[in-house]
Amino acid sequence: MTATVASHETHVEHGPRRPPAGWRRLLFPGFLRTAWMVPLFFGIGCGIVVLCRWWGGWHPIWFGEIIVLVAALIAAPVGFLAGIGAFDYWARYAIGAPTVPEDHSGHGAYSWRDYFRVNTDHKVIGMQYLATTIFFFLAAGMLAMLVRAELAKPGMQFFNNQTYNGLFSVHASLMIFLFVIPAFAGLANFVVPLMLGAPDMAFPRLNALSYWLLPIAGTMMLCSFLVPGGAFAAGWTGYAPLSVHQPMGTIFFNMGVQWAGASSIMTALNFLVTIITMRAPGMTFWRMPLLVWANFTTSLLVVIATPFIAGSQFFVMFDRVMHTSFFETAGGGYPLGYQHIFWFYSHPAVYIMMLPGFGIASEVISVMSRKPIFGYRLMALSLLAILVLGFSVWAHHMFVSGMAPWLRVPMMVTTLLIAVPTGIKVFSWLATLWEGKIAFNTPMLWAVGFVSMFVIGGLSGIYLGAVPIDIHVSDTYFIVAHIHYVLFGGSLFTIFAGIYYWFPKMTGRMYNERLGKLHFWLTFIGFNATFFPMHLIGVQGMPRRVSDYDPVFANWNLFISVASFFLGASTIVFLRSRRRRRSSTSTRSRRSSAIPTSTASRGRSTRCSAAVLANRCRWTDARSRRCQRDRHRAEADRGDRAAQGRRRPAGHRYLPRQPAAARLCGVPGHASRSGGPAPGPDGFDTARGRNSRRRLRGRIGSRHRRPRRGRTAGAAGR
Amino acid sequence: MRRGSLVQLILVAIAAAAAGTAIALLPNWLPQPASREAGRIHFVFWFLTGICIFIFSIVASVTAYAVVKFRRKPDDDSDGPPIHGHTGLEITWTAIPAILVTAITIVSAIVLAKDDAAGANPLRVNVVAQQFAWSFYYPAYGNKRSGILRLPVHRSVLLRMTSKDVVHSFWVPEFSQKQDVVPGLHPTLHITPTRVGTYPVICTELCGLGHALMRSQTIVMTETAFDKWAHGAQTAAAVGGGGSSIFNQQGCTACHRLAAAGATGTIGPDLDKLAVEAQRAGKPLASFVRESIVAPNAYVEKGYPKGIMPQDFGTKLSKTQLDALVRFLVSSAKKGTK
Repeated sequence: MTATVASHETHVEHGPRRPPAGWRRLLFPGFLRTAWMVPLFFGIGCGIVVLCRWWGGWHPIWFGEIIVLVAALIAAPVGFLAGIGAFDYWARYAIGAPTVPEDHSGHGAYSWRDYFRVNTDHKVIGMQYLATTIFFFLAAGMLAMLVRAELAKPGMQFFNNQTYNGLFSVHASLMIFLFVIPAFAGLANFVVPLMLGAPDMAFPRLNALSYWLLPIAGTMMLCSFLVPGGAFAAGWTGYAPLSVHQPMGTIFFNMGVQWAGASSIMTALNFLVTIITMRAPGMTFWRMPLLVWANFTTSLLVVIATPFIAGSQFFVMFDRVMHTSFFETAGGGYPLGYQHIFWFYSHPAVYIMMLPGFGIASEVISVMSRKPIFGYRLMALSLLAILVLGFSVWAHHMFVSGMAPWLRVPMMVTTLLIAVPTGIKVFSWLATLWEGKIAFNTPMLWAVGFVSMFVIGGLSGIYLGAVPIDIHVSDTYFIVAHIHYVLFGGSLFTIFAGIYYWFPKMTGRMYNERLGKLHFWLTFIGFNATFFPMHLIGVQGMPRRVSDYDPVFANWNLFISVASFFLGASTIVFLRSRRRRRSSTSTRSRRSSAIPTSTASRGRSTRCSAAVLANRCRWTDARSRRCQRDRHRAEADRGDRAAQGRRRPAGHRYLPRQPAAARLCGVPGHASRSGGPAPGPDGFDTARGRNSRRRLRGRIGSRHRRPRRGRTAGAAGR
Repeated sequence: MRRGSLVQLILVAIAAAAAGTAIALLPNWLPQPASREAGRIHFVFWFLTGICIFIFSIVASVTAYAVVKFRRKPDDDSDGPPIHGHTGLEITWTAIPAILVTAITIVSAIVLAKDDAAGANPLRVNVVAQQFAWSFYYPAYGNKRSGILRLPVHRSVLLRMTSKDVVHSFWVPEFSQKQDVVPGLHPTLHITPTRVGTYPVICTELCGLGHALMRSQTIVMTETAFDKWAHGAQTAAAVGGGGSSIFNQQGCTACHRLAAAGATGTIGPDLDKLAVEAQRAGKPLASFVRESIVAPNAYVEKGYPKGIMPQDFGTKLSKTQLDALVRFLVSSAKKGTK
């Protein structure tokens, strides 16, 4: 306790700003301010449209589609962001008003309300990401259930064609743009800075902004069901010129992709800068955990590729609302141009949705086998190989599209070459399992399930890579089966692995192991029963994206629909297993390869280079003496800092302003209530039993524990 | 590694391979081939299936063996052996997949080249796709038009395709050949039918509201039967500029029901009830029909979405054609109400 008090002398923790009383509350960032700012910006958008149309002499002056586009899909979201407070710091800075600085030391979540505010703590943002993406996962899953309900019997059951096309289009878009991509970003937001020993992400305010763009994009896509004409119905691929001539819902997709895309570009830039510049001293590139490598390559893919889909959707929208002719043959446009631009993003996007999962799988498999990852360097290099090759294969989605025929063979070569680095990864995971001490618990089940399902998805990918077979099966249910084996069996399984794996770290509570396992097995069985038969009916001749089909396929479709409802129901177990349950198993048996269990999980994270490195030396570089040397240096440095309090080590831009670094890394003499138990000789948390549980909770679940401090106290302290 | 465990591992691998082979052989995966190209494509398919069963059995057996054999004992707190890699092993599993994919690439490229070689004198057929109908034209037979693709058996056929509106895709599962039909482009597809019979023509690229129903047929006939059909007179509906033939040619039948033209589409409004619909719109029948063709969004029947019917019939049809079409529809509507 004394140590906690002592730390308050050198560093004052400040909670979130309290909203002022009275009418000034309306000006305080939050949902109350969005309540008037959104209509205000909507009005401004309407005004701009009406003014321009009046000035240009265009009739009618009040034109519904343009109003929706400018006022509802562009201006109102900006109003939302302004209202919630995403721009406050920059706005104050720009107008010269005093800013409210943050030193990343006291801005964790103090109550559940903080998760509904703009918060710049990477852990809070990680949780916000995960909660939001799970919401959209459930929504998109519901849409899939509706699709399967319609397909249970041949003929039309519940929906008309337009609604049906909308259902699968929104399902895919939400799953891709609002679930898989941001869920990985959320997990990485939480763990990457911890793994690097960085105090936070490089640009915390940008991080917060990129989160708040997501609910906008998701709401936009879901709301497209409400507009006249129904949701966008040209598939998530939105091929032009069909998408140009669809009802108004299409612009909800065009703009939704822009918001979601902006979000992922910002996050990716943030990761890149964080990983390049904020590694703890001694944490070289070749010592980074594979998960960090995976996020590094993913971020490179995102920043290079995402602008292409943004461009393609803008072009479609321009064709639609401004009557340009990017893709309209009548005006000299080139429909295949859309597909080239679109797939130049969307093929790398497959890796954007896959590589972070590789990282999580590497982490979980290695830890749960109690072995270092096999072939660490080759694993990292194969990620880079996938990054490079990933940009040279986009036209394999277009083997039958009517593009230049000569392009097919080179694209087939590069496509099949990707099997080599992917194979390296799979075999290395298997070698990591070999002779390990395998704990077959929930995260490990998901990770091993991922490896086996991803192999099936990868092998069906080889079929699709071979041009002659692709000609037969493209745009059939074989494709549907393939993408679900890759994105469900691949990405989703690893997301679940990550959620279960870091659940104790994130919440300070343990999930229910039995329910977690049940969740896995139900999902695993339901998943295979749903998607494996799709290979068969696809090869036999059932095209994708149809609401009605040849009665020959009736039995299989009924089977698939029943299986998919079973699969959908398994998600209920997932939600149940999250339920709060005081941990019966502490994380003692968990030996993280990257995050020392002694780092704080919420609230204040900081550089624990010594502890981080102690782990990394053990897991990546055990043979290297250099790593041990760096580790000892870091330990010496830690001792110095503990002794000297606020002294800043040279060359660090992001500094712990408190001896918390020492406290959290478990320097002797600084163990406190909120500090972790000292790591054992191997850098692991050696405490166990009830005591450690309480400590864990003390460190992690600091939800309501910390007294709130007013703004003045914080200011005075500074 | 002990010899006993190696034997166990191999047994598991054989079991996995047997399971994979059973899945590959028991259900009828590929449709019965009806073209020379399909035969070659099926060869590639089975070649690849063999490789995939090999890889799958390795991965499945190692995974299954590892999770069963190397399970941690509850009281075991020790680590696994600190193995960081094995250069020989890593080279092996880089090289073997590389060799396998090279083999696949070579086989695929050869098959692709053979499938695309149309020979010296193929039968040329022009394929025109539109929302949501197929038309086939035979330039060698006076540009004869057909809604069903009729082909002679054992003759090389070159389809030259284009679309009037959005991207469609031509697929006959039994031919195993597929090609997207893109507006503004004229991609070709080569087929050599080998089996007499009737097979479905399926649109596989999402083309809008009626995508699921955009189907036709291909009939592969003997050489003599095809010659007889090709040289026979055009059916009454397809000849001349009569309203009913325009109705057929423009693909109206794909979406609308009209007894007089034998059309049974359900995507658009029922044209047998035109008179009632005109009343509902509050317009005289003839001008209502004309407006609905030229500017379909002016009045849309309740329950049908706007913007689905092509909006360019006003420019595509000549004035006389339009008049004939309107006359035909009005007269059939009047007959319908009587």
